Amino acid sequence: MKKTVIFWVAPLLLFFLGASEVWAQSTTFTGYVRNYTGILLKDDNNYSIVQDTFDLRIEHSRGKVAFKANPYIHFFPGKDPKIDLRQSYMDIYLDSADIRIGKQQIVWGKADGVSITDVISPKDLGEFLLPDFEEIRIGIQALKVDYYMGDNTLEFVWVPTFTPNKIPDENSIWYVQPVFPTTNIHYFKEDVPANLANSEAFLKYSAITSAIDYEIMVGYMWDDDPTMHVNQTIDPTSELSLTVTQKHHLLRLGGGSFSTTIAGYVVRGEAAYYTGKYFRSADPALIDAVVEKDYIHFLLGMDFSVWDIKMSLQMVEQKIQDYDEQIVNDENEDTVTFLISKDFLRETLRLELFSYIDINNNGSLVRPKMSYDLIDGFQILAGFDIFNGEDGKFGQYDDNDMIYSKIKYSF
Amino acid sequence: MKSLKKSLLIAMMFSASSFLAVAQAEITGLKVIENVYNRPVGDDMMGDLTMTLTNSRGENRIRKIKQLSKDLGEIEKKIMFFQYPADVRNTSFMTWGYDEAGRDDDQWIYLPALKKVKRISSDSKSDYFMGSDFTYDDLGDRHPTDDGHKFLREEVFEGSSCYVVESIPKDEEYMYSKTLTWIIKDKWIGLKKEFYDEDGDLLKILSVKKYEKIGGLWIILHSKMFNTQKKHTTDMELKNVKINSGIAANKFTVRMMKRGIR
Repeated sequence: MKKTVIFWVAPLLLFFLGASEVWAQSTTFTGYVRNYTGILLKDDNNYSIVQDTFDLRIEHSRGKVAFKANPYIHFFPGKDPKIDLRQSYMDIYLDSADIRIGKQQIVWGKADGVSITDVISPKDLGEFLLPDFEEIRIGIQALKVDYYMGDNTLEFVWVPTFTPNKIPDENSIWYVQPVFPTTNIHYFKEDVPANLANSEAFLKYSAITSAIDYEIMVGYMWDDDPTMHVNQTIDPTSELSLTVTQKHHLLRLGGGSFSTTIAGYVVRGEAAYYTGKYFRSADPALIDAVVEKDYIHFLLGMDFSVWDIKMSLQMVEQKIQDYDEQIVNDENEDTVTFLISKDFLRETLRLELFSYIDINNNGSLVRPKMSYDLIDGFQILAGFDIFNGEDGKFGQYDDNDMIYSKIKYSF
Repeated sequence: MKSLKKSLLIAMMFSASSFLAVAQAEITGLKVIENVYNRPVGDDMMGDLTMTLTNSRGENRIRKIKQLSKDLGEIEKKIMFFQYPADVRNTSFMTWGYDEAGRDDDQWIYLPALKKVKRISSDSKSDYFMGSDFTYDDLGDRHPTDDGHKFLREEVFEGSSCYVVESIPKDEEYMYSKTLTWIIKDKWIGLKKEFYDEDGDLLKILSVKKYEKIGGLWIILHSKMFNTQKKHTTDMELKNVKINSGIAANKFTVRMMKRGIR
């Protein structure tokens, strides 16, 4: 607890200790105010979300040190507002290295909208994958050191305490109830104790060159998604009873990514090999109905333009090694993403279509949207989120199709 | 010393030093345009660029950019930091351009919301820059050999003695059918340029409103591009210009794209 408080308060102290001087110097305040309203297309056209946001970015630098905080407030009708710090960190700039301490979002890899080596910051999945990625990523308390050698960078990240992905509340339209053969279930959670032995560490070497950009990384981390360990008991009334314990497991991973330009096409790739992952299994001989398997997650993508229309295509696969037919997950899970966009009216009007396609389950999420900058820094956006399929990660939300608007004033 | 001829700002730089002795008898359209294009303009530069976009109703949009460029021999590197409007603040854009004929630029963009640097494909030279009336070619990227040039005449324009050159693209599919350029004889500054569309109708007029000698080089500080068909104007003003200030090569890196200029 003490450590948590220090991580949050330290950047603020740095800011306020020299307040009078600080405010007179190069402190900048930027941010936005936004209304986000979504309406479900089915049933009674219930609101999927009504949210007003005030998001503030405070930055100050003083020579070789700098400070940034990003507090935000989400207001919801009839509910308590959500107040949090998306980021709050200090930077120290040395001749050949940068050090960042505090709550921060860290992004690795070359993939768009898919996490392969981008696994340091956990995700807030309270509204599935619909918010902007900046809002999906959870800031983590970490120490990050970047050492620069020309256009090459060695980056080390130490995360002292584990933060898991945030799943939707049970009363949310995005909550998915786990399926078991009985309703007589006792749920438990095993948290990862906050101590030095349970900290996470990551190392990345990256380079940009005229021919190719690439990253090579390794990580020692906790699985952001818990595995459900299931134990079956028969109580005195002969009723089946299940004990489900959510546990996080240690993962070790190594991977890399690249990006290059070939004849006007930007070609991107990313891959990571994970060990220590536990998967649910239907094998009755297994303890806790889980099995440990390695898996590989990889992507190949391409960005290009045709008649001023920008397009991006990514093919993603997750493949479980030494597969056992009893594992609940498919051996190969294939996903395709597709983006097409075009600007009009001197880049003030933008039409965009983004889609995830779940090959295994014939499901998809299709996201057409249109945005218009009424004046500089004032944007009106309208779009649809359409889920197709019956099951799988997108088809399971087939009833959650929605139309939405976002009106945003940036300052 | 290789010139910084592909830079946005360098496109606005014109010096007089080396070519004053060129005799009129030797002047051809190609020679005039080559002289403008190939002029030595320094090893590095930085400046604050403000673009004001004005539509036919008189409504303005402002774009503010801090930009740096450096000649590193066979590579010219430049980096732009977007400062206004608020929704693009802290976005940065880096380009490595090459002397090698036909080789495309390498380009990267840093989007603060995504928190990562992305390699992007080179913009088409006919694309408009940030919704303005300037294409990338208009800003100086177009090589003299891409067009056929014809010396038309000499005339006094706005008090300056100028060469007038007609340039016709060799590529018939190019967005302009021809351009006419008024170039100041003793400064090699393109004081005015008319752009004609594919039908031969006047499309745009570029006018230089202010230029000064900085660090021994002629620098255009204010130019205006007027689209005569859409009645849309872009004013491009340059301030805080520094030439040959010894910008370090490590300013043109991913580190600086993420950190921003300080």
